[in-house]
Amino acid sequence: MNATILVVEDEPEIRQFLRSSLRAEGYRVVESPNGQRAAVDAGMHKPDLAIVDLGLPDFDGVEVIRRIREWSPMPIIVLSARIQERSKIDALDTGADDYITKPFGVGELLARVRVALRHSVRPDTGRGILLLGSSFVDLEKRRALRDGAEVHLTAIEFRLLASLAKHLGMVVTHRQLLQEVWGPSHVEHTHYLRVYMKQLREKLEPDPVRPRYLLTETGVGYRLVADD
Amino acid sequence: MRWPGYAWAAAATLACTLIGLGMSPRFDLVNVAMVYLLAVVVIALRLGRGPVVAASILNVAAFNFFFVPPRGTFSVEEQQYLLTFAMMLAVGLVISGLTERVRARAKAQAALAIEAETERIRSALLASISHDLRTPLAVITGASSSLAERGERLSVEEHRALAQSIFHQSREMSELVTKVLQMTRLESGTIALERDWDSLGEIAGSVLRRLRERLATHMVMVDLPDDLPLVRVDASLIEQALGNLLENAARHTPPRTLIRIRAQARGGELVVSVEDFGPGLPQSDLERIFDKFHHAGAGGVGLGLAICRAIVHLHHGRIWAEQLPGGGTAFRFTLPLEKQPSLPAEALAR
Repeated sequence: MNATILVVEDEPEIRQFLRSSLRAEGYRVVESPNGQRAAVDAGMHKPDLAIVDLGLPDFDGVEVIRRIREWSPMPIIVLSARIQERSKIDALDTGADDYITKPFGVGELLARVRVALRHSVRPDTGRGILLLGSSFVDLEKRRALRDGAEVHLTAIEFRLLASLAKHLGMVVTHRQLLQEVWGPSHVEHTHYLRVYMKQLREKLEPDPVRPRYLLTETGVGYRLVADD
Repeated sequence: MRWPGYAWAAAATLACTLIGLGMSPRFDLVNVAMVYLLAVVVIALRLGRGPVVAASILNVAAFNFFFVPPRGTFSVEEQQYLLTFAMMLAVGLVISGLTERVRARAKAQAALAIEAETERIRSALLASISHDLRTPLAVITGASSSLAERGERLSVEEHRALAQSIFHQSREMSELVTKVLQMTRLESGTIALERDWDSLGEIAGSVLRRLRERLATHMVMVDLPDDLPLVRVDASLIEQALGNLLENAARHTPPRTLIRIRAQARGGELVVSVEDFGPGLPQSDLERIFDKFHHAGAGGVGLGLAICRAIVHLHHGRIWAEQLPGGGTAFRFTLPLEKQPSLPAEALAR
């Protein structure tokens, strides 16, 4: 497949480590040391995915994302330091698809990259079928089974699951979910999500207090993972 | 701060005059003057120099007007009442001067104590950080130099083991640096809380996921009532606080000890507990356990619990540790409960 990955990162040592681990997986790597170059490189090399550091020297990583999003739907993963909670959320709301917090291990990064690339190849998972352990959800036919028995999901619960499934394996912010499920006038109503996620977990998760599929990204949003 | 002082002076004069009027048929004028003097003394003890002067003038004027014959005038027939005024003023000024000096000395001492405490904390911080960083740095330097310089002579397993220990040690260091930074930010007051409605169940679920490797040696139980109310908190901070309590419980109890997360709504607040069924801690330790560097040197800088305390206080909650009957320790903190937000129609219809 040999996907091309654009790495936007100002620290040469981090670039080097990203380059060697991504190349070892067979990806082609294009590197940009700053935001200005990133905008040019993104247009020139037409990468399949971008990894963008949020702490760039010239302009904000969020600005890089905005510029890429003006013309391309390519998946974008942001690298953030723990101190940058706010800009991480801004990046996701601006169009980044996922994030990873520094320091990270290469396993974590490659897993995120694989999920994001799979999503860009097959972006229609929102209408598919979800296997969550012993639970099974058909989003199209609006049916849910758990251990073979029918489970009743409300209309909103289905909509919420479908929104999460559209970004399967990736993080979806509170704002995005509220906007998609309840509409733009409800984007501040995070408590709706608390109530509905609890219900969904009780209906679908094997152990609702330790979710394995409907994961909380504290302070950011949620991530739905499913069995392949 | 200043004007209430003068208001108190005026109020004191009024009160003395009323008391004096009640006394005057039966008591000597001297005793009425004593009441006024008492008021000046009290004001000198409580308030500054200005109110003392004001009270003395007002008191003598009132005393003169209401009690000294001829009543209802300010004429001073007998010089002794000038003396009364002078005495009252002198007593007031002397006492307020003394009080001020005592106050200034106490303030200076408190400032000195704070300075000494800050200095002590700073050097303890440096000592324990450099202690806690030195070991991982030694491992990282040694292991990475073997890989870089002798790599070709090492077996694949040795390669992997060295790389693993670099990975592990640098993670530990990163955790430590994050904690130090976090403590600094919490203390400098530069953290703005990002409050939003959140459920403790979700926070617990995500912390258990984040710490699953560190807590793998212990048995963790989650005991939350089904109708637990939502809290309006900075979820990342509360997640950290809960995580630090869990890590602390795992670090200070033997493997396979049961650790239980609990939460209950009680009297307008949510009480969150991390209870361990380990050997327990003596009462004297429980009182100081949230102080910085209490555990310094015993694995971890001892910042974890101090961070918890700072986070809980930022949320206007309380935090404490107590012994559990039959051994074990409970760490509990509270979060104020607010009026629950309204829910969409579908959820209410259920």
